Amino acid sequence: MKLSRRFVLELLFPPPPLRPPGAKDERAFLSLCIRCNRCVAACPYGTLKPAPLGAGAGAGTPLVVPREVPCYLCMACPPVCPTGALDPIADKRAVRMGVAVVDPNTCYAHLGILCRTCVDECPLEGEAILQDQQLLPVVTEKCVGCGVCEKVCPVAEPAIVVKPRGRG
Amino acid sequence: MRAKRRWTPLRRGVQAAFAAFYLLLPWLNRGGLRAVLGNLASLKLGPVDLIEPAAGVSTLLASGQWSWALAWGMALPLLLALVLGPVFCSWVCPWGLFSEGLDSFKLRLLKLRRSWSAEGYRRLFWLRLAVLVAFLAGSWAFAVPLVALLAPPRLLSSLPQELFYLRVPPTLTGALLLLWLAAELLLPRRWVCRALCPVGSFWNLLRTPWTITVRFQPALCLDPQVAPCHLHCPWGIDPRRMGRFDGCTNCLRCVDGCPSGALLAGSGGARLPVHPQTPGAGAAATS
Repeated sequence: MKLSRRFVLELLFPPPPLRPPGAKDERAFLSLCIRCNRCVAACPYGTLKPAPLGAGAGAGTPLVVPREVPCYLCMACPPVCPTGALDPIADKRAVRMGVAVVDPNTCYAHLGILCRTCVDECPLEGEAILQDQQLLPVVTEKCVGCGVCEKVCPVAEPAIVVKPRGRG
Repeated sequence: MRAKRRWTPLRRGVQAAFAAFYLLLPWLNRGGLRAVLGNLASLKLGPVDLIEPAAGVSTLLASGQWSWALAWGMALPLLLALVLGPVFCSWVCPWGLFSEGLDSFKLRLLKLRRSWSAEGYRRLFWLRLAVLVAFLAGSWAFAVPLVALLAPPRLLSSLPQELFYLRVPPTLTGALLLLWLAAELLLPRRWVCRALCPVGSFWNLLRTPWTITVRFQPALCLDPQVAPCHLHCPWGIDPRRMGRFDGCTNCLRCVDGCPSGALLAGSGGARLPVHPQTPGAGAAATS
């Protein structure tokens, strides 16, 4: 009984996906998003997608799939939101979509192959992903979770992935 | 007799224009148009924000806080409703157009006669209200704007967008639309619009004594007993007897169908008394 209740709850409210920049925390976001797709249509990169099957109560809400198209932090979407589900922030450093996590088991740098793709391509260069003395990528607390690193990672199954923070 | 104005061709044109607009909008957006964005939940027209009031109220309840942005967005559509009546259903909503088409197809296929029970539309008022209250209370309880999430107008107007941006069949929106389609096919005629859609129910309540409606002139009516005007109504309403909240959406098909000019678009006008059993109503049929 308890198990089935949790199952239904998770079906209706699955764990939060990566939200557009400026998104309020997941609970407030789900309550404010009016499912108008304005942010989706405003995105010049085709980053934002309407939620697919399995989104439960998040049906019709926007999300980011970084391996397909990451967020380039152009900040075009927050101002077009009519309900305040996306806070109209203009500073890309204030974004808190998620945080990148490196998998040391598959990352080329960790395996001894010289690779600094994520360090070089990070839009917050020299702030969010640094290289330590062993030439390994280190994610700092400045990381906004845009997902560019996940997109450019040369490993077939990306060795650096963005973990959603449950907000934007 | 002066030449009668035909409303239905005009209305079909407006409905088709709205449907085409939402069908083409994703391509226009991709082509660089950024001044016009959105669907039937909310539309950005340059600097103007439009928010469909039922979805807006549902969002206010779900979020549990007042928002001036939401309120301003709802202002223009609310004004439109108070002046023109629930024209959203009959002139704008693409599901309304689809549902009307499906209904006439169903009638033709099953070779049914156009008939309605005499006062059926009156009994639906409480069901409609209950559905609306359930949607709004659910929005508040689950903190999710259920009207924006589930109502057919938003779903249908976002279908082309999702098809365009997902590049795969939009399974979730598609599945929800299939549920509404099943309801449309299995339930009595036009029930999705007449009874179950929370948007229609909300717009139906936005009426004042001055809101435009069907004006009836009893002196011109050829036969107050069995005249066929409520058979012209796509919802089975008798315009000569209807009350303010009986569900008329100002589609004006009865005005087009009236042979004597007793029905006009306007406000005010007299009404016949309500008969619990109108002789011949429902049985009297025209094709």
